[in-house]
Amino acid sequence: MKTKGMEQPQLVEGLRKLEDEAIDELVHQYSRPLFGVILNYTKNPQDAEEILQDTLVKIVRKIETFRDQGDIWPWIKRIAINNSIIWLRKNRATREHELRMDDHLPQFSADGQHSHPVFDWGVDPEQLLLNKEVGGLIYDAVQVLPFEYRAPLVLREIEGYSIREISALLGIKEAATKTRIHRARLFVRERLAKHFSGRHFGGLL
Amino acid sequence: MKAFISCKQCTDLLMDYLEGTLDTGIKQRLDEHLSACPPCLNFLRTYKTSSELTRRLRDQQVQIPRAMENRLKSFLREQVKKS
Repeated sequence: MKTKGMEQPQLVEGLRKLEDEAIDELVHQYSRPLFGVILNYTKNPQDAEEILQDTLVKIVRKIETFRDQGDIWPWIKRIAINNSIIWLRKNRATREHELRMDDHLPQFSADGQHSHPVFDWGVDPEQLLLNKEVGGLIYDAVQVLPFEYRAPLVLREIEGYSIREISALLGIKEAATKTRIHRARLFVRERLAKHFSGRHFGGLL
Repeated sequence: MKAFISCKQCTDLLMDYLEGTLDTGIKQRLDEHLSACPPCLNFLRTYKTSSELTRRLRDQQVQIPRAMENRLKSFLREQVKKS
């Protein structure tokens, strides 16, 4: 990947020598995409900036270990994700009032049937994507998920990692990873279902 | 004799169903349930839509203010000098 003002090898070399120009270039080129990645884990901009600061420092300190000749972005992004996970794990107790997932998942009768009617939303997902309100609703739904559900969901849906990679990143078993992603999806679906129930789609779109 | 699949069991299996990781026998029973149960078919569709919509959050573009970029530059220069 070419950076705007500097080729990648130059940037990497400059960072190894701790040159101001390379440091500025790193911030200029990668702060915005890194901030986007971090905001998937916390919607608080102050927290995100703090995680970003820490990520940039780690990138410079670890640049010696970057051996790959390919694009540096996946390596950089991985540091941001790891950092976000560590940071959130450390801070979740004080910053989040955890919601009870079971209260927000689909309900079933004793014989395993749906307790409430289930409607098809009857809309094309492509059309829904054009709707900013729906985009905000999904972002908010993901953000209110407790950390242990939010992290695997984001890693799967947004970052596109495999179940095995997510298990390794979070230090949990693959079966637990799958269960958490599934429950997180059920939660997001319930939020959307509540939003759409009783709404007139013609008015929404 | 095939065991009956309930709506709850059907819901529990949706992730594996969409990932194509179910055993053939279970998948067949799930398909049978889905073809006979409109609520579960609706649930499957909306579960899939929710997942697709969540995936699209990856396309969101964020901007950072110039002042923040400058703050980050100063911070990083200062930090690397310490190390």
